[in-house]
Amino acid sequence: MIKNVLIVDDDQEMLLSVKEGLEKYDESFSAVIAGDGDIAVEKLRQGPISLVVTDLKMPRMNGFSLLAHIMEHYPDIPVIIITAYSTPEMEKQALLGGAVGYIEKPFMIEDLARKIASTLRKESEGGTLHGISSGTFLQLIEMEQKTCTIRVVDRESEKKGVLFFMDGELLDARVNGLSGVEAAYDIFSWDEVNLSIQNTCQQKENRIDGDLQAILLEAMRRKDESKGVPEDEDETRTVELLDPLDVSESTDEPWSEESVERIRKKLNQALDQRSGVDDVYRDRSWEELIRQVEVVGNLFNAGPFRVGYVDRRSGADLILLPGSDAPTVISVNPRGPKDRILQILVDREISV
Amino acid sequence: MEPNFDDILDLEDVRGIAVLSKDGQILFQKFSTAANTVKLETKNWSAFLQALEGIREADFIFESSRLYVRDSTGGYLLVLMGQFAPIAMVRLNCDILLPTLKQAHATKGLARFFKRKR
Repeated sequence: MIKNVLIVDDDQEMLLSVKEGLEKYDESFSAVIAGDGDIAVEKLRQGPISLVVTDLKMPRMNGFSLLAHIMEHYPDIPVIIITAYSTPEMEKQALLGGAVGYIEKPFMIEDLARKIASTLRKESEGGTLHGISSGTFLQLIEMEQKTCTIRVVDRESEKKGVLFFMDGELLDARVNGLSGVEAAYDIFSWDEVNLSIQNTCQQKENRIDGDLQAILLEAMRRKDESKGVPEDEDETRTVELLDPLDVSESTDEPWSEESVERIRKKLNQALDQRSGVDDVYRDRSWEELIRQVEVVGNLFNAGPFRVGYVDRRSGADLILLPGSDAPTVISVNPRGPKDRILQILVDREISV
Repeated sequence: MEPNFDDILDLEDVRGIAVLSKDGQILFQKFSTAANTVKLETKNWSAFLQALEGIREADFIFESSRLYVRDSTGGYLLVLMGQFAPIAMVRLNCDILLPTLKQAHATKGLARFFKRKR
């Protein structure tokens, strides 16, 4: 999708020459122009704008006021400042105000284009996903405790929204003039979305302050309500989402009580009671898989095999630790924080 | 529709992707420049795939790399990564990709999606 870059300057001649100069990059982005800050605010409202390039000195609303407006209402939109009256103090002020770049006039159009392109690339530096549900991508955020800005497009209505996450916590959301939790309800009600992830979050203030799962459930409830789904069906879904752990695994293989207890204790200590660890034991039946994995690791020059995670379709998932004795197997709840457990094991916080 | 491997290959620190048939034939492989010395053809994959029997998804972490494996009707998908790859993103992208592989298997065979190896 071609991204729109809003160029704001009261110098009409300059504005038109920048627009013309950027035309050769129209496969990457398209320039939209505004003659002052007020017009820019209106263009932003009409959206979608991916980036703003603004002059500082303008009548009515100047560049600093526009920057403040964008940081307040569209914190996901990066701003590049251009100015003919540059001082180190102004530059410092602009960057402190949230601008991502500062270019002095006169400038080469190629330099501006390069700056725009590199800034836009960051919109999706964390990857893109297509055709997934809101619930699915929330797993991603929670699992990785990500700090990021996620731009979401509803495939059905083509509505666009933005979510701001700090360490896996939802700070704010924006869609169609809505912000905070109301915007989050709207976005989470979308069935199938495309999204791009930026690995930074300009939003610092928490405007939502609520549990992500609870917000998701409320979004579903509202959606069902708007579709006229009876409330008892909604309750069924709640129960389904909050289903208790269902893990069971046992083995008759001998195992060392001491080391497996140490693993269990360390994981429970590191993850409180949320580790999802059901059982820790030794099991020789995994030796062949581990041997094969080590062979494949050699092919890839991957170094020694440290730890493996196995999902067997039904029942508990297993974490496998190679060892001089029989492999150690940790049986875990599939919904548990498996990446965190793996990280703990890889970081050798526990020695087997 | 060709399966979209690029979304996965474009992720940070993803070094390569391969698709193996259930009997161990290499249907597709693409590795980054840093990992292009990998020669999958030199290995007989049947023992590895046999050991994976009954496993839907596996994630093997080595000292310097990580190998993510997904079973699908159409074959096994292997993603080779470094330690900094966003594994949850890789998983989700595979979730999206796999139905395409299944569809290919159900229609004219997975191999029609991939270039023949010379």
